[in-house]
Amino acid sequence: MIRKLIPFVAAVAVLMAACAAPAAQAPAPTEAPAPTKAPAPTEAPAPTQAPAPTEAPAPTQAPAPTAEPSTGVDAITLSKDNPTEILFWHRYSGSAQQFVEQFVEKFNAENAFGIKVTVEKIDGSYADLYSKINAAIEGGTPPNIAQAYQNQASFYRLDGNVIDLAPFITSKKYGLTQAEIDDYFAFFLESDKNPQFPGEVLGWPTSRSAAVLYVNLDWLKELGAEAPPKTLAELEELACKASDPANERYGLAWQNDISNFAALVFANGGRVLSEDAKSYVFNSEAGVEALSLLKRLFENKCAVEIPSAERNGEQTRFAAQKVLFTMSSSTGLRFYADAVAKSDKPFRFTYVMFPQKDPAKPVVDIYGASWSVFKSTPEKELASWLFLKAFTEPDNIAGWANASSYMAVRKSAAPKAIEAVKADERFKDFPEAAEAYARLYDMVAYGAVEAPVAGYDPVRKLMSEVVTAVAIKGEGDVKEALDKAVAEANAVLKENAPSGY
Amino acid sequence: MREHAFAYALLAPALLLFLAFTVFPIGFGFYISLHNWRLGPREFLGLGNYLRALTPGSEFWPSLGATLTYSLLAVPFQISIALTLAYLLFQKIRGKSLFRVVMFLPWVTSTVATAAVWARLYSPDIGLINSVLRGLELRPLRWLLEDKGVFTLIANGLGVTLPDWLRGPSLAMVAVVIYTTWVFVGYNMTLFLAGLGNIPGEMYEAAKIDGANGWQLFRHITWPLLSPTTFFVVLITVIGTLKAFNHIWVMTQGDNGTQTASILIYRQFYEFQRAGYASALAFLLSAVILLVTILQNRAAAERVNY
Repeated sequence: MIRKLIPFVAAVAVLMAACAAPAAQAPAPTEAPAPTKAPAPTEAPAPTQAPAPTEAPAPTQAPAPTAEPSTGVDAITLSKDNPTEILFWHRYSGSAQQFVEQFVEKFNAENAFGIKVTVEKIDGSYADLYSKINAAIEGGTPPNIAQAYQNQASFYRLDGNVIDLAPFITSKKYGLTQAEIDDYFAFFLESDKNPQFPGEVLGWPTSRSAAVLYVNLDWLKELGAEAPPKTLAELEELACKASDPANERYGLAWQNDISNFAALVFANGGRVLSEDAKSYVFNSEAGVEALSLLKRLFENKCAVEIPSAERNGEQTRFAAQKVLFTMSSSTGLRFYADAVAKSDKPFRFTYVMFPQKDPAKPVVDIYGASWSVFKSTPEKELASWLFLKAFTEPDNIAGWANASSYMAVRKSAAPKAIEAVKADERFKDFPEAAEAYARLYDMVAYGAVEAPVAGYDPVRKLMSEVVTAVAIKGEGDVKEALDKAVAEANAVLKENAPSGY
Repeated sequence: MREHAFAYALLAPALLLFLAFTVFPIGFGFYISLHNWRLGPREFLGLGNYLRALTPGSEFWPSLGATLTYSLLAVPFQISIALTLAYLLFQKIRGKSLFRVVMFLPWVTSTVATAAVWARLYSPDIGLINSVLRGLELRPLRWLLEDKGVFTLIANGLGVTLPDWLRGPSLAMVAVVIYTTWVFVGYNMTLFLAGLGNIPGEMYEAAKIDGANGWQLFRHITWPLLSPTTFFVVLITVIGTLKAFNHIWVMTQGDNGTQTASILIYRQFYEFQRAGYASALAFLLSAVILLVTILQNRAAAERVNY
């Protein structure tokens, strides 16, 4: 048998040797020639890089473009006579997908630069989109624009596959005025920055949500509570008071989405990643308290785990009044409203800021995929920026917030988005829920980002394993488990850090 | 010479396809496995990725253990149930066509869809299986969420504490094996039915005349003459279980003792973006499958009656 295999192995080896040499000589996608190597506009010193971080915490405080003109970007010209075609990949569905497609159609017809956007919906999850983009990068055919979480954009940036948008933002000819920049929520613009790439803007915020606590108000009243919990201690007390495991009713539904755990760490005053992005710190005292709280909730049967295979399980159980609270994304509001409306016995509900250890110093986990621009030609990069800029015009962004249920990323668009939710028929019977959307914008001031660094996805898995083992199954010591996870997470962080960082 | 050239010309299209879509990907995969590869080659590591995988304490060994456990559990269950059903349905019974269709249906239904449905059935709180257990006043189980070994769970139920090495496969693994058996039994049964149909009826008649009873007919005629089919079914089932991925991913995502080698490879590739290391793991898994197949061939050489 072995002898029979020798010719085959030899053939593979010969072929490998044959294909290995050219492959080794071939430039890697990241080393692709041309536009990227030319004195691209993105290489020009961006005004946002100049001031010390403390002086310019947000693009809103960046020096005026006149201080350091972005001549590189301004020198690029686009013409209707020579259309610039760009490709946009997203994974929106339903009304959000419809909105994007309609906007693209309008943009293609009306823009003055001859930009033609082709929009493609990628079926699957964000992870699938991420995998597809990575495969496209390897194949040398990435899209020009794609949805990307901050950590994913950082991964693309490691090999120079996404561009820094700062020079475009500050371009005199194509950028934003200071008033326009000020109109964006500063936290949203900040969240697309990664300390590992100082001053760079790796994505443009279009979609943001907050981790919030959904509350069954009628049930809460039955428990004698006047208002939703504001502190973690109140949350624990009410969750345990509501639980009745014999009848499969629990205080808190826990879906092991690690953003929920991150929200708990933030609520305890901690961070997931250190400020300088040099180490994970979710094993701090805040992390220990967060995990300990979860452990107690499960030990005392005050919380129930929603298995990952149970799609939208937390919504279903909330609507069936099997759980008093769920931790979930603010974007789920309309889905919750639909689920509750269809339930046998609809009830009043809302969402509130996640309870805090110290309500005087709240911290809210705010997340959402941005749109990143991939390296191509200066013209396509500029066309991509102009598309992003047009999409986030106040009127568009208000419509987008309504279509997608995300927060409006511009201050001037927020009132319209709030009005649209209040006018929405589905919230007719749930006025408290519609009010909650208005209060959501108050949370932006307390926003925090989990970890905008490459390699955060596997770290989330590590965190998830710790939560499952320690809190849900009650195995092992809280601090030891977190320390071990942080050690592994830091190895992943190091593996995915820019060289020299 | 001209005849040879003509023959090669005829073979050329197939050879080109084989080279382009089989040999080249394998070769290129091996090339990737020799590098630290993140969206392209970053550093030549030689056999570094293989050594990393084979180092004691690496994640490869537990995943290989989970893979072999899955295979050792799933294969005997699938084969024995499939053979029993095939033997029963080969008899002259009413409605056997309907039974065959019903048994075959899980195999032709989308694996992802059925795995998702089974995951729901296994749900600890709202799953049908636990509802039945509760109805029978039995303790509900965590099924796919349980990483404790089945022997440990049984012993705990009896108030006995077992040493860790006697824990057995996790309950999540057993739950996945039950699902796998449900899916593949119909397919294997169909293969066995085809094999049974090839056994000449005269041999049974002759044996009956000689006074053979039902068990003797099975032991001395059916079993030996079915051995080529049995060998084939065992071979493809073993290979299938060693590289199983879809349903395990849908049901557990590799959690709770079900991280088989395929799941580990997927996670290293897509979650950690370690294409080089994942490729090395894939080659190691292929080597294991090749080794197991060679051993099966050797074992079968003495036992299969052609």
